[in-house]
Amino acid sequence: MGMIRVLGDIFRVLKHIVRQTFSRPFTYFYPFEDREYPERTRGRHIHIRENCTACGQCVRACPVVAIRIDKSDRKYEKDAALYFDYTRCIFCGLCVEACRFNALFHTPVVDLSEPSREALHYDPERIETLEREPLEWRGRRFR
Amino acid sequence: MSPDIRDEAVEMWFGPQHVSAHGWAAKLTVVGDFIVECDPHAGYFHRSAEKVLEFRTFKQGPLVLERMCMLEAFLAEYPYISAVEQIAGVEVPERAKVLRTIMMEASRIHSLQFWWGQFSAELGLFAMTLWPWVDREFFLDTFEELTGSRHAVSFSTPGGVRYDFNEKVLKKLDRALQRLEQHLPKFKDMLLRSPTFRMRTKGIALFSYEDALRWGLSGPNIKACGVPMDLRKDWPDLNLAYDLVDWEVPVVDNPDHPGQSDAYDRMVQRFLEVETSINIIRQLLPQIPEGPIVDPKARAKTNRLPAGEAYGRVEGTRGVTTVWLKTTEKAQTPYRAKIRGPCFASYYSLKHLVPGSTFADFIVVFGSLDPYPGWWDR
Amino acid sequence: MNALLLQLFDNIDIIGWLRGIPDWIHGIIVWVYTLAVGVFNWAWGVFVWAWNLALDNWLLLFKAIVFPGLVFVLMLIIFDVWFTRKVWGRVQARRGPFHIGKYGGLQIFADAIKLISKEIIIPRGAKRWMYRLLPSFLLLVVLTPFAFVPWTSEWVITDLSVSLVLVFAFLTAVPVISLLTGWISGSKYTLVGGFRAASNQFAAEIPLIVSSVGPALLAGSLSVLQISQAQTHLWYVVLLPVCFVTFLVSAVISIGLVPFDAPVADSEVIFGWRTELSGVYFTLTYFAEFAKQVLYSALIVALFFGGEYGVPGFPPFLNFFLKFLVVLFGMIIVTSSFYRIRQDQIVKYSWRYLLPLSMLNIIVALLVLAYVPGLAGILAGGG
Repeated sequence: MGMIRVLGDIFRVLKHIVRQTFSRPFTYFYPFEDREYPERTRGRHIHIRENCTACGQCVRACPVVAIRIDKSDRKYEKDAALYFDYTRCIFCGLCVEACRFNALFHTPVVDLSEPSREALHYDPERIETLEREPLEWRGRRFR
Repeated sequence: MSPDIRDEAVEMWFGPQHVSAHGWAAKLTVVGDFIVECDPHAGYFHRSAEKVLEFRTFKQGPLVLERMCMLEAFLAEYPYISAVEQIAGVEVPERAKVLRTIMMEASRIHSLQFWWGQFSAELGLFAMTLWPWVDREFFLDTFEELTGSRHAVSFSTPGGVRYDFNEKVLKKLDRALQRLEQHLPKFKDMLLRSPTFRMRTKGIALFSYEDALRWGLSGPNIKACGVPMDLRKDWPDLNLAYDLVDWEVPVVDNPDHPGQSDAYDRMVQRFLEVETSINIIRQLLPQIPEGPIVDPKARAKTNRLPAGEAYGRVEGTRGVTTVWLKTTEKAQTPYRAKIRGPCFASYYSLKHLVPGSTFADFIVVFGSLDPYPGWWDR
Repeated sequence: MNALLLQLFDNIDIIGWLRGIPDWIHGIIVWVYTLAVGVFNWAWGVFVWAWNLALDNWLLLFKAIVFPGLVFVLMLIIFDVWFTRKVWGRVQARRGPFHIGKYGGLQIFADAIKLISKEIIIPRGAKRWMYRLLPSFLLLVVLTPFAFVPWTSEWVITDLSVSLVLVFAFLTAVPVISLLTGWISGSKYTLVGGFRAASNQFAAEIPLIVSSVGPALLAGSLSVLQISQAQTHLWYVVLLPVCFVTFLVSAVISIGLVPFDAPVADSEVIFGWRTELSGVYFTLTYFAEFAKQVLYSALIVALFFGGEYGVPGFPPFLNFFLKFLVVLFGMIIVTSSFYRIRQDQIVKYSWRYLLPLSMLNIIVALLVLAYVPGLAGILAGGG
C-alpha cells in the first residue's frame, strides 16, 4: 500500500515537471527586452538647478557621503553644483526626501555600468541631464 | 570521542570556498562517512555594523539594519525603528501601523520562498529552486512599485513609513498573493510529498524543545517542536497592527516524535508560516484606515533623542531579531547599538546537531535551520 | 720485458690494420643502410596493406569514422548537450541558451572553446601523468561501445555475438577511472567523490545487467543487433515493462545524473571526483557523461523499443532516432524532477528494489510465454 502511494507521489511530481516543460518560460530576453520600471524607482539622480537653493540638506542626509556640493559654481541666482559618486551611493532616497525645493529626483535609469570606476563619478553636467547614447549590438538596438 | 577514533579522523573544511558555503566555513572532523566533530566558524561576512551604527543618525540607522539581511529587509529594519520610537516615546499613525504589518508579512513570505529554493538547491533539485523564485519575483515587483527598490527597501522610518500604498501597489500585491495561493499545492507536492525529499529530511537533525531553548533557537525552528513561541503574540507591539487580525500561531505537532522536530517538520512549519502570513495580509488589506502615513512631529522628535535605552524586537523570518539601543542626552547618533540576529544561535547549534550525521547530510542539517550569514556576522 | 713487447708489435700488422678501416666503415654504413631500407620497406608494406585493406573495407571505415561512428556520435553528443540544457531550462521556467546560433545551437562550441583555452592547473599533490591521461581514457572507454549500437540493421559498425556483454565490460571501467581520478587529484573532496562513483557503479551494475538479461533471453542472443532485430512483431517493453524501468533507473545511477548524482553532488562534495580537473580535462569528463547518456538511451531503444522497427514506411534510421529522442527526453525529465538521495540510500534501494523487481519481471515474462499459447510464435527469436 505504501509503495503504491509512493508511486502516486512520483507520478504527481512528474506531472508537475512535464506541465512546466511545455508551458511558457518566465524569463525574458534581457538586453533586447526590458521590464517597465515603476515611477518610484530609485535609479540615478537628476538635479534641477533652477530650483536648487544650495541649502546642502541632501549632503547632510546622505549616509554614505556620496554627494559633494560646490557652492561657488553658480549658474542661476543661488544654486550650487552637485557631484555624485555612484561607487558609494546606496540609492536610499534620503537626499531626495530631504530636498524641499523639488530640485533633486530619482530617475528610473538603473543600468549604470561603466567601463571604469572614474566614470561613475558624475560631474554636474552629467547629473543635470538624462541623455544617453542608445546602445547598439549586432545591428540590434535596445532601449 | 575516544582517542582511537581520533587516529582515523580526517579534518575537512566545509567552506569558505565551498560551493554551498557562501560566507561561512565549518571545520568537520570525519571518520569514514560520519562526522564526529563540527566546528563552525563565523567572521567571513563581518561588516562591523554595530560600529557603523554609532556614526549614523536615527534616520540613517535602518539603512544599515536592512542590509544585515536583504531577504527580510522590512523585518530587519524594524527593531531599530522600534527602539528609536520607544526612546522618543512616539506613536505612529494608524495607517502606518497597518502598512508596516502588511509589508512585514509580505517580506516574511518572500524570504521563506527564497529559502524553499535555496534548500532545494542544496538538495539538488534546481527546478524547485526556480519555481518559488518566479513567484518571489512578483513580491519583489510589489516592493519596487511601493518603495522604488527591490531589496534595500528602507520602507519604515521613525514616526511612520516613507511610502504610501496606491492602486498599483495593491493590485501587484494581490496578484503576487493570488499566484502564490494558486501554486502552494504544487510546491507541497514537490517538497512535502516528494518521496526523495522525505528520504533526505525525515529524522535528520532531530532536536527537542528543551535543546532548542538551551541553544537559543527561535522562530520556526522552535515552533516546529510544537511550542507556539511567537513574538507577534507574546510581545504585542503598539506600533504594529497584529491585534486587528484573528490568527493563531502555527505549530507542527508530529505524532512520530512529539516535542521534537526534524528537518521535514521544519519544512512543514515554514509552509504553515507562509499560509499564516497570507491569512494576515488578506485580513489586513480591507481594513487599511485612511490618514497620514507619517507623523511629522514624531519624525522631528527623532532627530535628537533624550537619554535612554530601549530594546526593539520583532519576530523575523528566522527567529527573534532584536536591537538594543542606548542614547545620551540630545544625541544625534546612538551611543551604543547591539544587534541580536536570529541565526547566530542556529549556526552554532550545528556544533550539537551535526556530530553523528553523515557527510552528505551536513548541508541538509545546515539548510534546515535556515541560517543567513548576514545575521551571525555583524 | 722489452723483447716481449717487440715480439708483440711484430705479430700485429698495424699498417694492415689501418688499411682495413675504410672497409670496416663501409661495412657499417651498408649495414645501417640495409636496415633502414628494410624498415622502410616493411613500413611501406604495412601502409600498402592498410591502404588496400581500407579500400577493400571502405564501408567499414566510413561507418567507423563518419556515419554511425565517431563524427556522428560527436554530433549526437553536441546535440544532446544542447537538448539537455534546453529541457533543463524549460523545466526550471527558463529559456536555456539562446544567444549564440539559432536557438543557442552554437553555445556548446563557445563553451568548449572557453573551457579548452583555459589554463590547466594541476594541484601540487596530484600525479601529473595520471591527471593528464585519465580523462582521455574515460572518453575512449565511453565512446568504444558505440560500435555496437545498431542504428539500423545495415548501419552498425560491427557486431559480435557477445556485444551486449562487451558494452557493459567497457562501461565497468568508468568508475575505476573516476576513482583513480579522485585518488590522484590530491584532494579530500575528490577522493570522497571517487569512492562515491565506485559505490554508485556497485549499486547499479547488477540491476542493469539483470534487466538486460530479459531481452537477451527472449531474443536468445547476446548480440545487441540480434536482440533489436528479434523485435519485429512485439517490442520487449510490452513483456518487460518493469525491466525497462529498472534498466532506466540503474542507467541513471550509472551515469550519475541528478537523483543519484552523489559522486558529483555540488552542494556536498564540491564537484566530486572532477573537482580538481580544469580546462580541457574537465571538458573531456563532461563530454563523457553526456556520451554515456546518449549510449544508454540508444541501448534502451535497441533492447526494449524494437530498434529500427516502428511506424511502417518510415526509414528505419528515422524510426530508431525518433524513439531515441523520446527516450532521451524521458531520461532528462526523470533526472530533473527529484531530490538527490544519499549514497547509502542509493545502494540500499537499488539492491532492495531494482534487483528483485527486474528478476521478478523476467520470471513472470517467462511464465507468460510458457502458458499463453501463440505468444512464442510472435517472438521472432523463439523465446
